[in-house]
Amino acid sequence: MNLGVRAMATSRPDDEVFEALFTAEYARVAGIANRVLADPHEAEDVAQEVFIDFHRLHSAGAQYAPAWLHRAAAHAALNRLRGAKRRQRRELAQATEEGDRSADPQHLLEVNEDRRQVRQALARLAPRPAAVLVLRASGLSYAEVAQALGVGIGQVGTLLRRAEAALRKEIGRGTSN
Amino acid sequence: MAHLTEGTLRRMVDDPAASGGADARHFETCPECKARYETIASDARAITSLMAAPELKIDVAAAFDRVRSARAARPRFGFRLPVLRPGSRPMVLAFATMIALVGLVVTAIAEGGTIFAPTTVTPVPVSVADIQALSQLSAYGTLTWTTKPNLQIVTSAADAEAISGLKPPVAKLPSTISTTVTYAATPKAVAVFTFSKDKTAGAAASAGKNLPAMPNGMDGAKLTVSAGPAVAEIFGNMTPPKAGSDVTQANLPQLVIVKSTTPVATSTQVTVQQLTDYLVSVPGISPELTKAIQALGTGTTLPVPVPVEYATSSKVKVQIPDGTKVDGVGLGDNTGVGAGVIWVNAGSVYAVVGTIKLLDALEIANHLT
Repeated sequence: MNLGVRAMATSRPDDEVFEALFTAEYARVAGIANRVLADPHEAEDVAQEVFIDFHRLHSAGAQYAPAWLHRAAAHAALNRLRGAKRRQRRELAQATEEGDRSADPQHLLEVNEDRRQVRQALARLAPRPAAVLVLRASGLSYAEVAQALGVGIGQVGTLLRRAEAALRKEIGRGTSN
Repeated sequence: MAHLTEGTLRRMVDDPAASGGADARHFETCPECKARYETIASDARAITSLMAAPELKIDVAAAFDRVRSARAARPRFGFRLPVLRPGSRPMVLAFATMIALVGLVVTAIAEGGTIFAPTTVTPVPVSVADIQALSQLSAYGTLTWTTKPNLQIVTSAADAEAISGLKPPVAKLPSTISTTVTYAATPKAVAVFTFSKDKTAGAAASAGKNLPAMPNGMDGAKLTVSAGPAVAEIFGNMTPPKAGSDVTQANLPQLVIVKSTTPVATSTQVTVQQLTDYLVSVPGISPELTKAIQALGTGTTLPVPVPVEYATSSKVKVQIPDGTKVDGVGLGDNTGVGAGVIWVNAGSVYAVVGTIKLLDALEIANHLT
């Protein structure tokens, strides 16, 4: 009956634990979303939503907290990526931002075109291969990717290899159209 | 030996030391594997550069402030769900419901006089927002624990009984249920909600209204609720997952059986009914909180709040050991994703909840002794 009240009995206030979790994981969670969306502002939106969602139903001290956050960040960002309108808006924002940094307009065009194609291809992949690519590209270790996706660590190499092949194929399909 | 798998070769790209001795020796002498490795490595490099993203400059403190204010705007239920795996909504619903059952009673209110000791249960559909709104009660008074719940996880039935004073129920389980059992137990917990005229006036004022006339004795009226003691049997693996194992499975108990002494509420100075009636008449009280308070049962009925977003509920009959049947609340369905049964018998609330079918949960409930 009182399964839910363990948090109240521990000495450290849960808010403190949540803040510590946030400080430890926010950069990575936002990084995962940014890897998907290629848009820092939107990525931070996603990351904050993910933390709010987590806080609403889970204990900050839960052992699975980082794995949950990583997976949720990947999936929430991929869901956004699949929204066509957002994609267009993002490309505009991205073009403006890059404009500040790059002196070479030709290079800028190429970078944007590559990113656009990669994100479109990523949006077409099945959720799990897309998540594997994103989590690994965001710097998670094989063990962390395994935890986030709920698979054995021995499967990560296979999933990653298949996902990379699938992404290359999707990009090829996108450019030949 | 056979050639190395694509997965092994891919991992070697990231971590050349990852492959074991036999794999490494094969690789050194196999031109075919070396050629496949080169292809895989070149794909991996290409993907890495394709997946490049614009630089992210973050301000963690500012981000935390935004999240904290968003949390405040969406207050949530004050209890946590400690043993849930990620993404397991049916389990969330089952636990949330069980916990809400205690939580609602503990946090608030009962009707029909100064003593409330339920003898039966009924489902009450609420939304999660309604349940979360209970935290707004702090605007009308003070909630303090005179005895905090102190849940402990132990490995033997004897330890659980020593903590709670309750014998864990004996269940006849289907062979599909894990025989690994862990116990959770807590002694009785007591909470007191003290109604405050000043706080309530402040809450009304922030809505731009005056307080309605207050019954005598309302200011400082206390509602005391005791919950538990309780004991739970948790079937399935509760230990942390080992590295490399399937984390989504390892943390999830298959079945939880709970027995708790029924919660009892008493009030001072005014009746519980007067207190709840007055609370919902205060200007500025949110519709969610009103719903949560009004969902709180009548007389001897213990409401089981069922979050409508997550769960369906039904009335069921549970057979108690003397052969008679009592009313119970069924949660979930027969898909096997998650279901539970909650009922009251002889001064105790029982719950059988798990990743099982409702029919199976009912079968276990019917044979619980």
